[in-house]
Amino acid sequence: MSIASQSLAVRHEAEISRTRFLLVFNRMLIYVVLVAIAVVEAFPLLWMLMTSVKNQREVFSSFLPTRLDFSNFQRVWIAMNLPMHLANSIYVTVLTVCIVVVVATSAGYAFARYRFPGRDLLFYIFIGAMMIPGQAILIPMFQFLKAIGLLNSLTGLSLSYLGGSTAFAIFLMRAFFLSLPTELGDAARIDGASEFGVFWHVYLPLAKAGIATVVIIQSLGTWNEFMFSNTFISNPNLKTIQPSLYQAIGRYATDYTALSSGLILALIPIVAVYLILQKQFIAGLTAGALKG
Amino acid sequence: MAIETWHQEKSLSRTLREAAPPLLFLTPAAIVLLVFMAVPVINAVLLSLQSWNGMTPAVWVGLSNYASLFRDRIFLFAFGNTAYFTIVTVIFQTIVPLLIAILLNAGIRGSTVFRTLYFMPVIISLTISGLLWAMIYEPNFGMLNSLLQGVGLGGLTQLWLADPHLVMPCIIVVSIWQSLGFYLVIYFAALQNIPRELYEAAAIDGANAWHKLIHVTVPMLRPVMVLVVVLNTVNGVKAFDQIWVMTAGGPNHASDTLGTYLYSIAFGAMGSSNPQLGYATAIAIVILILSFVLSVIQIRLGRRNEVEY
Repeated sequence: MSIASQSLAVRHEAEISRTRFLLVFNRMLIYVVLVAIAVVEAFPLLWMLMTSVKNQREVFSSFLPTRLDFSNFQRVWIAMNLPMHLANSIYVTVLTVCIVVVVATSAGYAFARYRFPGRDLLFYIFIGAMMIPGQAILIPMFQFLKAIGLLNSLTGLSLSYLGGSTAFAIFLMRAFFLSLPTELGDAARIDGASEFGVFWHVYLPLAKAGIATVVIIQSLGTWNEFMFSNTFISNPNLKTIQPSLYQAIGRYATDYTALSSGLILALIPIVAVYLILQKQFIAGLTAGALKG
Repeated sequence: MAIETWHQEKSLSRTLREAAPPLLFLTPAAIVLLVFMAVPVINAVLLSLQSWNGMTPAVWVGLSNYASLFRDRIFLFAFGNTAYFTIVTVIFQTIVPLLIAILLNAGIRGSTVFRTLYFMPVIISLTISGLLWAMIYEPNFGMLNSLLQGVGLGGLTQLWLADPHLVMPCIIVVSIWQSLGFYLVIYFAALQNIPRELYEAAAIDGANAWHKLIHVTVPMLRPVMVLVVVLNTVNGVKAFDQIWVMTAGGPNHASDTLGTYLYSIAFGAMGSSNPQLGYATAIAIVILILSFVLSVIQIRLGRRNEVEY
């Protein structure tokens, strides 16, 4: 009996150590997979970074640069006219973001806080604009901007983004206002606040996080947009950053040090914003997905 | 009588007073969506029924632009490429990020670091990633071929983007590389919303990891998976930026999609002398209808048999 139970205990122990081994093995396998994917995801970016600080002669010889050479940055900063293109992009992004925030905040508030006939239908019509691909309005928008004299203008480019951007922003702001308690507004109304006062003094200050999300997503979208910016602006002095990079391939062909450093300089603003506001960034991108 | 009118007036002014605030709050959005979305879309439909080169007056041609599409070999090829790109990216970009999100959600250390790393390509513009990968794929000086030669696999070097048979798979790899982090983060957030009790209950019933995935995770993630499929489909149908930057639809139309073909007809790779704006817009309408119809079908199918918990 005692021997039997002892052997049972031994077998039990063996089984436990076996499952423990399997657990550790599993865990290691997971890490191996995750690290492999991290390498694949990071390697192209790392290669770009390495190429940008290489001497032009050693580009194709080794992965690591023998000596850090930052002269490429200086070279393209002036030759590609990057300050001008970055300034153009900043203007278009700021203008677009401002308009989208104002329009979407007020509309999102109306959809979340008022009842009126046809509200839900109107909401679906509004956010239906999200489903319309840019190509569908590309050519009519070109004609429209030409007709009102805003082709080849940064303001015109900014306006062309509004139709495709506001819908998603309205969707996000509505979801955000819905998460705020209604009692706050009712209390303010009892205290004699006007409807606009309720919006301006009660809900708007509370909506900062929602607005931040819209600002981040819209900035990213506008900064990175290529099709409209490449089409509606042909004046080289007015090009925004993405089409100006696209043009650089013609000019630099296989001068990879120059191209890489140009790409990195163009990436710095958006990467900086991402690293500072990482949480809101990811929250914003997933909010739409999970609340929908 | 007088009292009744007075009542009516009062209720009318009250309705007005109640309807005014939402109306005012909605006006800016309504104007923006009308002027910059609804009107251009209607104009696109009208333009697709005309023949126009942008200079001489447009001519009404009815549906003949659409009829011509079916006889246009390049259009049919671009349509096939779009279908190919969309189907492959939908499959990979729906399943791969899900599996990795499940691994990340298995309670391992450093999952935030991995997520941050995986997310880096997402914030990069399609233009920049296109240019970067064009450098990588470049046959003579690119990283990929040098890497293959460096590790003694020189026999595997390819023309990549310059090879008509390889160009689409090469582009698809870039798409998967860049979008992984985005869908992963969506899945990860959704996974964390699944109550732990469901897995514990499944474990008590003797479920192994595979059973848990099929019977708990996938049904619980169904709405998010439908969303990922819809987003991937819409992005696939309208694919443009990366392809235009990497190949402009080449070599010899081998990587033309609806998006790039439309663009080259309307605005030309090298400044076309004869833009066919009506014909290009007809292709745009095809893209619009495809993305609309496909997403409606997917949402419908996704809702059917939905499991309630």
